[in-house]
Amino acid sequence: MAKDHSALTDFLASQNISANRIREDAEARRNAANASNAQTASTDAGASSTAANGDADELAEAEEAAQVATAADKATEKKRKAQAAAIEKIKKGKAFKKRKRQDEDSDSDGIAEAILAERAAPLPGQMENCEICDKRFTVTPYSRAGPNGGLLCNKCGKELAQGNKDEQKQKKKKVAARGTARRQVASNRLDGVIGCKSLMTMCIQTLVNNIDLADDLGDMPAQIVDRVARQVSKRRILTPMSLNLFLQSGYEDVTVYDAARLGSDDLIRIFQMVPKLRNLKLKNAIQFKDEVMDYLITRQTPLDSFYLHGANLVSEESWKKFFVAKGKDLKSLRVYFTDKHVGDDFTASLKERCPALKCLKIAHNQQVTDAGVEHIAKLDGLEHLGLQLITPTSTESYVKVTNSIGKSLRTLSLTGESLSDMDDRVLDAIHENCTSLRKLRITHSEVMTDAGFARLFKDWTNKPLTFIDFEKCRHIDSSKPRENAHLNGLCSDGFRALMSHSGKSLRHLNVHACRHIKREAFEDVFSLDKEYPELENLEISFCEEVTDFIVGCIFRTCPKLKNLNVFGCMKLKDVRVPKGKILVGMPNAMGMEIEGTED
Amino acid sequence: MAEVSKYVTLISNDGFEFVVLREAVLISPMIKSMIDSKMMEKVVEYFHYWYKNREKEDVPDMDIPAELCLELLVAADFLGLDSKKPLLQPRGGY
Repeated sequence: MAKDHSALTDFLASQNISANRIREDAEARRNAANASNAQTASTDAGASSTAANGDADELAEAEEAAQVATAADKATEKKRKAQAAAIEKIKKGKAFKKRKRQDEDSDSDGIAEAILAERAAPLPGQMENCEICDKRFTVTPYSRAGPNGGLLCNKCGKELAQGNKDEQKQKKKKVAARGTARRQVASNRLDGVIGCKSLMTMCIQTLVNNIDLADDLGDMPAQIVDRVARQVSKRRILTPMSLNLFLQSGYEDVTVYDAARLGSDDLIRIFQMVPKLRNLKLKNAIQFKDEVMDYLITRQTPLDSFYLHGANLVSEESWKKFFVAKGKDLKSLRVYFTDKHVGDDFTASLKERCPALKCLKIAHNQQVTDAGVEHIAKLDGLEHLGLQLITPTSTESYVKVTNSIGKSLRTLSLTGESLSDMDDRVLDAIHENCTSLRKLRITHSEVMTDAGFARLFKDWTNKPLTFIDFEKCRHIDSSKPRENAHLNGLCSDGFRALMSHSGKSLRHLNVHACRHIKREAFEDVFSLDKEYPELENLEISFCEEVTDFIVGCIFRTCPKLKNLNVFGCMKLKDVRVPKGKILVGMPNAMGMEIEGTED
Repeated sequence: MAEVSKYVTLISNDGFEFVVLREAVLISPMIKSMIDSKMMEKVVEYFHYWYKNREKEDVPDMDIPAELCLELLVAADFLGLDSKKPLLQPRGGY
């Protein structure tokens, strides 16, 4: 007999399913259904009709049905027990616990039964009554489960799925919205915006959102116009249309923080519509070409301050013409991201053409060399100087500049990776000559020494500075990164000297990556008997020796501190941040930014 | 308001009241916008918005109708409702 079994029967037997039993059960069900049908039929039809025939066959059939029914009863009894056991098992299972968590209030038996019903759902190919419309249909692998665990016919299944999809969509949208909001909150925190925005900020937001509706900003104070301009550029919606808002004939300042979408004609329009223009600042002004410069030269625009960013298409000739026409009154000239046409001749002509120049900044420039830097030494009226050159330049030329014009300088900013060989002589020259500096920035030097920095600040006749940036002035040796035998870069002594000289009025200090400043130096400098009343921004990222204790001391000794950056300070673990202060860059998994909650 | 009065009463902080011709007062764009009830309503709404949310960190923005925002901006400036405190030294220059 065993040989007659098919592979499926074997498989089913191994799963404890007997084909015979299924057949018997099905038969019993069918017969029971027939019997009840027959009964109802007989009661409906009344005693007079066929039931009264008393046919022997029928009697026999009924007897048989009764027998089968007892068999079926036994089977159901068995089944019930099995079901109870299965329910017990399910109650212990994972799926049950998960569902239980999802709907707390429904009773546990109900859930277990529902799970059981799902598992015991008819297999594909069988017939089943739809749970919703009661129609008979063939079960397929795609048949959906109804709300009570039964199966649904194709039509009802589709309708249910449609409803579910809508629900899911809404859920997804909600989740997405929450995600963006979280991102926005994080962004605001990094911008220092905590809690309520000011009414002005919200008005500017609304205005920028509806910038197309505005035709005119009216009589706004210049600083509000500037804030609107910043927001418009930040959102990158400064178009030829919205540019008009910032061009009024009475204005003296025009600032376009993002001119990338403006053409040459739009830039020319600035000079047409704002005849009294004194301060012009254009960023990303790619289309600022010779034709725009030619137009500017023909106008009577009384330009004082000219800030041009990204205008790589202005030729050397054009710059010469500009200096001839407008150089005489120019007080401030700042040129960023010019690769070719601002070079040594450019700086050479400044002395003769721009006698009133007070502020000069040349950044991201590839053409200016040592010779060009030395020309700057002749500009004796200069108060603010900023250079960021790509071409390597020598210490000597900077020493020359500092020796000759250092006395009047209020700002000195020498940055860029090309300065890695600049040495202590520049610091000594600054110590000797500069007496009115307010802002000092020297970055990326790998050769300056701790002793040099200490000498600079010790007994320096200059007033305390408000802004110091010595980012990445440190020793680099990839094979022995912790060793620094000659104390290159800003280390403990230099840092102590810096803080004792300028601590009183410093507002902004950046010692990013000056990683040889020792723990003791930090602890001395920020010991609780000291106070740095003006310090607002402090950047000590990648200073390896910073500990929780030091950060705590910093918060106590700097009452006005707003922002403290501590990226890469791996010794930090648990810092309590006072209310209203922002600590950025904690090395914890919870997020990189903590904002004050303690009072 | 059924009938707009010809006069406006300005009250100083020590209690003096000045009754001024409405048209004369309109020379000040600020007062002109403030005696408009829609503007006043928004400013007052902001006061309460600020008071209600002053301790919270994550605050939803207040709704500002686009047509009011220019005037409201001037009012906000006048009333000093600006998060950026004036710096001791101007940021510009360099």
